[in-house]
Amino acid sequence: MDKHLTIPDNDKGITAYKIAAITVLIAGLALFPFVITNRFYISLINEMLIYGLLAMSLDVLLGYTGLLSFMHNAYLGISAYVVGLFLIHISPSSLWLALVAGVIFTSVVALPVGWVQVRTGGLAFALLTLAFGMMFHTIVWKWYGLTGGDDGLMGVPNPAITIFGWKIGDSGDPATMYLFTLVIVALCYLLTRRIIRSPFGAVLEAIRENEERAAFIGINVRMYKLFGWMLACMLAGVAGALFILYKGYIGPTTMSAFAGAGVLMMVLLGGLGTLWGPLVGAAIFIYIQDYISTMTEHWEIYLGMVVVLLVLFLPTGFVGLGSYFKRLGKE
Amino acid sequence: MGGALSTSVDITLNSLVLGGVFLIVATGLNIIYGLSRVMNLAHGSLYAIGAYAGYTLTTIGFNYFAAIVIAPVLVAAVGLLLERTIISPMRKRSMVYTLILTYGLMFFLDGLIKQSWGNEPRFVELPAMIKSTIPILGSHYPVFRLVTLFIIAGVMTGLMLFLNKTKIGIILRAASTIPEMVSCLGINMKHVHIGAFVLGCALAGIAGTIAGPLTTIDPLMGHEMLISSFVVIVIGGLGSLRGAVFAALLIGAVQTLAEFFITDLAMVIVYMLMAVILAFMPRGLLGEGRFE
Repeated sequence: MDKHLTIPDNDKGITAYKIAAITVLIAGLALFPFVITNRFYISLINEMLIYGLLAMSLDVLLGYTGLLSFMHNAYLGISAYVVGLFLIHISPSSLWLALVAGVIFTSVVALPVGWVQVRTGGLAFALLTLAFGMMFHTIVWKWYGLTGGDDGLMGVPNPAITIFGWKIGDSGDPATMYLFTLVIVALCYLLTRRIIRSPFGAVLEAIRENEERAAFIGINVRMYKLFGWMLACMLAGVAGALFILYKGYIGPTTMSAFAGAGVLMMVLLGGLGTLWGPLVGAAIFIYIQDYISTMTEHWEIYLGMVVVLLVLFLPTGFVGLGSYFKRLGKE
Repeated sequence: MGGALSTSVDITLNSLVLGGVFLIVATGLNIIYGLSRVMNLAHGSLYAIGAYAGYTLTTIGFNYFAAIVIAPVLVAAVGLLLERTIISPMRKRSMVYTLILTYGLMFFLDGLIKQSWGNEPRFVELPAMIKSTIPILGSHYPVFRLVTLFIIAGVMTGLMLFLNKTKIGIILRAASTIPEMVSCLGINMKHVHIGAFVLGCALAGIAGTIAGPLTTIDPLMGHEMLISSFVVIVIGGLGSLRGAVFAALLIGAVQTLAEFFITDLAMVIVYMLMAVILAFMPRGLLGEGRFE
């Protein structure tokens, strides 16, 4: 029998200290574009937020449900393509409709895939995510007429950002788009945290810790795994919509296996099963990637090496490093 | 180009050769998983290293047949190094970590391949004696492909004899069924794990070396082979040798036919097939595998 994925729960619930920290962090990020007007840094942080949302969604699946998806970026890609195509072909100005269409289409694709995947065990689940991910990548890559193939989807219009008919700004403006991303990512984080701290989240963790016991006490394991999968894919869909709005472009490399390994590394860097850890992990990853890829073309050697070293020596990520030092201080 | 007969001869023989390569890679993967419960996602990269090693050996003056013997030994040495340093500590951990680790290892090895040999495709120079073609039923079939077919048959026969007739082979087979019992009989399971991993890597190396002249050698060849050999062991049933033979020939035929007729959607069909089998026949087509 396979050994279970065990992750200690260090979360003591909501404390005043935590609320203050989150508020300060969000306020700081919101003020950022007013302090630093350099477009490069604004887009860098924007990308960190979007990939943070994607890494967080993978954490729901891997860190909380114990299911491994090698190519979670596929669902970001599907949503981004759908939102882009919606804005190009159907309506260039309906931002919210496009966003909803992206998430709904991603769910429609993810549902049968998830239905098939949860019928299998841990290893087969992981292999299937790889097979389906490669399949989506191949389809997007080869369907030149619709997706633009290798060239990617270009010329995506920038709709105005409106709330109940009130125009707030234009999604083509980096600072406005950044604030929009920040609001959506913050909302998604709070919502996901609420879901994960609910009895539903406890069931997911029970499945991760011991699937047989969860089944013995009457939990429909397959159904809950499917719920976890759908939640993760819908969050990835939101990240995909933000991705295409911010970049205005998407190519098949975003959906490649290599990019999928990057998302896994973000989760590992931050710490499995912590939800906020992967957000930090994504920020570190995007920063390092940006820094290293200007120096070397053999980025994958370093990516692979860091993944191996993380699994071997720091499987709990940087969050785990924090509690390690705390323990060290007590002794 | 000949008529329908010669085309079908080409397709049949090409399917057998391709299926044979899949079979050797998938058997290596099967042996490693069966004995030590490690699903090695870097297996395709070891196959690519085998191909590049064969290429380098032939360019520095070794005979092609000598390269087929030396390159797998080099890959097996790489396997031994990997097993001792990073794979063995993973045995005590959840499978999720093993999968992530070997996935990272795959990108690391691929990156090393790109750095050492570059991105451009390479071609293996064959010895003059097997460069010609031979007429079979109207088709001019390359001799070296037939030679490759004989090598594949030889390797698989040798492996069967090793697993069924020698003492070490019997211990390996016993350890894949009831490891606790083998351990109780005084066999050091650590050695069994090392042996299985090194044997699996050597098989990947052999497959890579003989596949080199069949196609062009490029850094992505390992990825494609990894996916194809997964499909083979999934369809044949994880851990089933008989099933793998059957599945390898099937996938070899599907991919060869697809290369002749439809190219773009061939892999999509293969992925779909794998998904359907995994979901509805998790023990493989012959029902002999065991997925946990």
